[in-house]
Amino acid sequence: MTTAWRYDDIRAVDDISFTVEAGQVFSLLGHNGAGKTTTVEILEGLRNSTSGSARILGVEVSNGYSKIRQKVGILPQDFEPFENLKPWEAVEYWGALFGLKLTKAQCSELLRSVDLSHRENLLAKHLSGGEKRKLGIALAMVNRPEVLFLDEPTTGLDPKARRDLWNLIGELKRRGTTIFLTTHYLDEAEVLSDHICIMNHGKIVAEGSPKQIIQQFGRSATVTLIGAGQKGLEEMLRQGADATLLNEDVVVCAPDPAQIEGWFSGLSKAGVCVKDMSIRRDTLEDVFLSLIAKGKGVV
Amino acid sequence: MFFTFMLPVLLIAMFGSMFSQSVGTVSLPVQDLDGGPAAHAFLDALNRTGAVSIQLVPATEDFSAYIKDHSLALALQIPAGFSDSVAQSVSNANASLAQVILFGDPSRSTYQMAQGATNGAVEMMNFQLAGARPVLGMQVETLPGTKGHSYMDFFLPGVIGMTVMSVSLYGMTEICSSYRNKGYFKLLATTTIRKYEWLTTKFVVYSAMLIGSLLVTYVIGVLAFGMSVSLTPLTFVFILAGCFLFISMGMLLGTVIKDSETGMAITNAIGFPMMFLAGSFFPIESFPGFLQGVASFMPLTYLNNGLRDTMVYGNTGAALVDLAVVLLAVLILALASSRLMSWKEA
Repeated sequence: MTTAWRYDDIRAVDDISFTVEAGQVFSLLGHNGAGKTTTVEILEGLRNSTSGSARILGVEVSNGYSKIRQKVGILPQDFEPFENLKPWEAVEYWGALFGLKLTKAQCSELLRSVDLSHRENLLAKHLSGGEKRKLGIALAMVNRPEVLFLDEPTTGLDPKARRDLWNLIGELKRRGTTIFLTTHYLDEAEVLSDHICIMNHGKIVAEGSPKQIIQQFGRSATVTLIGAGQKGLEEMLRQGADATLLNEDVVVCAPDPAQIEGWFSGLSKAGVCVKDMSIRRDTLEDVFLSLIAKGKGVV
Repeated sequence: MFFTFMLPVLLIAMFGSMFSQSVGTVSLPVQDLDGGPAAHAFLDALNRTGAVSIQLVPATEDFSAYIKDHSLALALQIPAGFSDSVAQSVSNANASLAQVILFGDPSRSTYQMAQGATNGAVEMMNFQLAGARPVLGMQVETLPGTKGHSYMDFFLPGVIGMTVMSVSLYGMTEICSSYRNKGYFKLLATTTIRKYEWLTTKFVVYSAMLIGSLLVTYVIGVLAFGMSVSLTPLTFVFILAGCFLFISMGMLLGTVIKDSETGMAITNAIGFPMMFLAGSFFPIESFPGFLQGVASFMPLTYLNNGLRDTMVYGNTGAALVDLAVVLLAVLILALASSRLMSWKEA
């Protein structure tokens, strides 16, 4: 995809380009207003780009989306089910909209896969927010899509339901489904994604696997020397480390983890007693917040 | 807001205009088959009542066919030999009365005025010719080809037209607003269904509902109230055309007006006046001139007129003219709504 979309004088999506490999879980991350939904809607054929092109399964979306519609499943961000249909009826109806004649058993099976069996005979308007999202996911899967767009699928889900959905996404991936995910939950993206793009102000500011992004844009490891005290702080400062005292612990920023061994040697020689040590590496969330805060340059 | 302020204002303006003003003169087509001096004197007397505006129908016309072709609710005929009958009646008290024949639909409000004016002209001539001794009289006939109509016969097609309008217009505006607000259109855009297929299903559903409503209304009207209206094939064509017309109008309103509350208020502002002004409940000819002008721009007027022409008066020709107007409105509104409505940007 290489595309741009603008309204008035605002470039909501500004000349971005990325490729999603078949069978991948691809996550598009960004804060509110970063351009994620605009990008997704261009790919879903719901919005025409101002310039550039977007292709899915080799088909240009702007003029050939009807050819691939059968192979794409979509859960929109603001999904609301048809409120006067029961979940199984909604699945049956949605199947019919794709030209499929689903049996009640097939509808029930699909609902079971999103853990909604117990609600299949309840009118959709009585479902909780999380259950509505689950129904939306079931509808998105009704045509057994090759490409599945999930726009913030776990918003409103409780922790267990989130984990269940992660398992479902993993299962779909194993079946070979390409999943395009947008989410605000960085832990979710880190766990699920093969490839991530981080957007800021309509541009892509970081791209790669979660590990690559953390390595490339992460700051350092943070080492906490428990019980090292004032003496430990002085020794670390003497060694030129970026260290601070927090109660009786010394917190040291380690740009290069290989330095840690040398620090310990110095601490030992200085007679500093360290009761324990913890190392915390930057998470994807740390990197994301750092990139957004700094407004890093385009990748 | 609409029901609090706009509706009462609209109703008082409409009914105030309808009932507080003088209707003026009633148009009365007259065929003079006599052409003699008594006929001229009668027409002069009729004219002097000031209640009717005489429109002469050529004597060569088949009067029954003329009444039917023009869907006339009123017409007067002076038979051949009228002047001779008057002369005989004046000279011979035992001779039978000379008669003018008033054809009319008693269900129309204008009928009473025409009957009163004709009766007045008859009495005026009786007074002048024979000192109030009856020498001529008025024969009242139902309209040719009809069994005589009641107000309920007039009312039934109006109710059907109003139902077609309200079900389709309000239903479709509400659907379009809620579908857009809840993102259903965007959802539908991600499936394989096409816009025209969706619209067709709505049309089929509404048409089936309206035909069901028509049949129920008709059966109740005939069985319970003895209405003498006919369920012609053209009636069903009008139902389908009207349904498509108001579905298109509702789709257009639901598309153009983004806010659902504003949309419903504007739909009410269009639908309610149309319900009353398009002749659903009262004959349009009983309205003041400017309201009749307003009614002529309302598509429901032609739907109501067409339904009455085919169901009540059996005037297929006039009904087809009304149908042509309805279909023209369908074409314009369907094209406009389909061009303006986008599921993607909804």
